[in-house]
Amino acid sequence: MTETYLSIQGVQKSFGSTTVVRDFNLDVGRGEFISFLGPSGCGKTTMLRMVAGFEEPSAGKIFVGGKDVTNLKPNQRKVGMVFQAYALFPNLTVAQNIAFGLRVAGTPKAESAQRVQEMLKLISLPHLGDRYPYQLSGGQQQRVALARALAPKPRLLLLDEPLSALDAKVRVSLREEIRSIQKELGITTIFVTHDQEEALSISDRIVVMNNGRADQAGTPFEIYNRPATRFVANFVGTLNVLEARILDAEAGSVDVAGQTLALHRDLAPKRNGDTISLALRPEAVSLGRTGERTGALDATIADVHFLGSVIRVRTKVGDSTVSLDTFNDPTMPPPVSGAPAELAFAPRDLMVLAD
Amino acid sequence: MKSGKFWAWLTFGLGAAYFIIPLLATLEFAMRMRRGTYSFDAFAVVFGDPRFQQTFGYSVMAAIFTILLGVLIVVPTAYWIRLRMPHIRPIVEFVTLLPLVIPAIVIVFGYIRMYGSNSPLPFLASARGTDALLVIGYAILALPYMYRAVDTGLRTIDVRTLTEAAQILGAGWATIITRLILPNVLIAVLSGAFLTFAIVIGEFTMASLLNRPAFGPYLQNIGANRAYEPAALAVITFAVTWGCMSVIQMLARFAPKSANRPD
Ligand SMILES: Nc1ncnc2c1ncn2[C@@H]1O[C@H](COP(=O)(O)OP(=O)(O)O)[C@@H](O)[C@H]1O
Ligand SMILES: [Mg+2]
Repeated sequence: MTETYLSIQGVQKSFGSTTVVRDFNLDVGRGEFISFLGPSGCGKTTMLRMVAGFEEPSAGKIFVGGKDVTNLKPNQRKVGMVFQAYALFPNLTVAQNIAFGLRVAGTPKAESAQRVQEMLKLISLPHLGDRYPYQLSGGQQQRVALARALAPKPRLLLLDEPLSALDAKVRVSLREEIRSIQKELGITTIFVTHDQEEALSISDRIVVMNNGRADQAGTPFEIYNRPATRFVANFVGTLNVLEARILDAEAGSVDVAGQTLALHRDLAPKRNGDTISLALRPEAVSLGRTGERTGALDATIADVHFLGSVIRVRTKVGDSTVSLDTFNDPTMPPPVSGAPAELAFAPRDLMVLAD
Repeated sequence: MKSGKFWAWLTFGLGAAYFIIPLLATLEFAMRMRRGTYSFDAFAVVFGDPRFQQTFGYSVMAAIFTILLGVLIVVPTAYWIRLRMPHIRPIVEFVTLLPLVIPAIVIVFGYIRMYGSNSPLPFLASARGTDALLVIGYAILALPYMYRAVDTGLRTIDVRTLTEAAQILGAGWATIITRLILPNVLIAVLSGAFLTFAIVIGEFTMASLLNRPAFGPYLQNIGANRAYEPAALAVITFAVTWGCMSVIQMLARFAPKSANRPD
C-alpha cells in the first residue's frame, strides 16, 4: 500500500440506543479501490455517509490527506458521491448536471464547458450532453451520475450500491467501466455493495462488514481463500462446513463423522475433545486423490446436477453435506447418486473457523 | 362500448350546460343595456370607470405580492418538512387548513386589535402598512391551496437524495432551493399561484374591513347599485380568471422538463 490517504479511526455510530457501526478502523492508500461488503443492514451505507459528512460519528475520527474532516459539512469535503437511485437533477440537462459542481465552485464558463466535454468522453456518452435525465437508460443515468461526481476533481469517490438498480448485464459491464475509469484517474474510491462477486471482481481490497463491525479487510484473494471469521467464510462464496472433534490438539488430528483426519497444524488453544468447525471451498475438493490433494474422507454421493461444462455434486459425510464441482469430462461417465466416493483435498485448504 | 360513450358524452353535455348556461344568461343580460338591441355598452361603462381600473390594478398588485410572499414562505417550509421533519407533516397540514375553518372576518378583527396605531407593530397606522397587512392576510387565506400544491409537487421528486447529491457537490441551501427545488416544483407553484390569484381578485371581507380600495369591495358596491354593469363585471372577472389559467398552462409547457413530466 502507498501512503495512507483516508484514515477511519475508531468510528462508531449510534441512532438512539442502537449502535449501527462499531469500532471501525481502516486506512486507505491513495488511489486504492476499497469495497465495503456485507449483508443489508450491516452499516455499510452509514459508514459511507460518515465519510461523506451526511452523518456525524458518535465517536472516532476521519482523516483525509492527513487532515481531520470529522466535523466538516458535506459541501466542504470535496468528495464525489454516486447514489443507488442515480439522483440526477431532473430539471437540468446531462451537461448541466455534470457542470453543477463546477458551477457551484465558480469555475469559469469556458473551463467548465471543456471539463464537461472531457467527462462526457470519459463515460463514452459524448453526444448526450443536451438530453434530459428522463431520456436516458438506467445505465446511462448512472454513468452521468459518475461523471457529475468526478467533474469537480474530488479527493474521494464514494459509491453506494451504484449498480443494484440496473439489470444484470449492464451491472457487469458498468462495474468494469467504473473500475477502469477509477484506475485511469487514480482516485481513491470506496464502493459499497452487498454482492460478493461484484466486490471480488473489482476491488483492490475488501472490507467485509458484519453487524456494524469490519470483520476482515484484505485483498479479494485473501478474503476468499483465507477468511478470518466464520461469517466472512460464509458470506463470501459457497462453503462446506464440517463439525469435527479434536483427537490430538497438538498434532492436529481430528475426528469427522467417525473418520480420522490429519490437519498438520497445532490447534491450541483448543483442547482434546473440543469440537471445531472446518470449512472447505467446493473448488478445493475433488473426487479421488490427485497431486497435493492427499487428505481424504469417505462420502456418499447424494445428488448430481449437470450444469453443462461443470457438474455439481453434493455428497454426505455423516450428517454434513459437502458440495463440489467437477469438470464435465465427456470420456467419463458422470457420478451417480448413492455411489460411494472419496473426497480429496489439500489439508491446508481445510479452514478452521473462528467464531 | 357504444352506449358507454353515449353516457359519457351525455354526462359531459349536462355538466357543460350547467356551467355555461348561467354564463350565457349573464352575458345576454349584460348586453341588454341599450333598449331594444344588444350592445356592449355595459362593458364600455365598466371599462371606462376609473374606479374599475384603480381597484382592479390594486388587487392585481396585491395578488402578485401575495403570491411572492406565499412562495417565499411555503416552498422552503414544505421542503424542510419533507427533508428533515416528515413526522410533523400532519400537524403542518392541519395548521394550513385552519384558514378554511376560521372565517376571514375573525382574522381581520384579530388584526385590527393586534396592529392598531398604538400597538408595538402599528401596521394599521399607515396606508402602506395596511396594504402589507392585507397581503399577509391574503397569504394566509391562500395557504391551504399553496401548501398543498407545493407539497404535491415535492412528492414527485426524491427530495432527500437530490438535496444530498447537491450538497456533496458543494451546494449551499440557497443554491439548492433556487436551482433545484424551485424549478422542480415550478408547475406546482404556478397552480398554487393561480388559485391564490383567483382568491385575491374576488376577496371582499378583508379588503373591506381594512378599508382598502380593492376589486372585491368595488364589485360589491357596483352590484348593489347598478343593473347591467354587475353582469358585465361578472363576465369580465370570469374572462380574467380564464385568461390566467391559459397563461399558466402555457408557462407550464415552457417549464423545465423533468423525469416527472416526460413529454
Ligand atoms: N437515520 C437513521 N436512523 C435510525 N436508524 C438508522 C438510520 N440510518 C440507518 N439506520 C439503521 O442502521 C442500520 C444500518 O443501516 P445501513 O447503514 O443503511 O445498512 P446497509 O447500507 O449496510 O444496508 C439499519 O438497521 C438501519 O435501519
Ligand atoms: Mg445501504
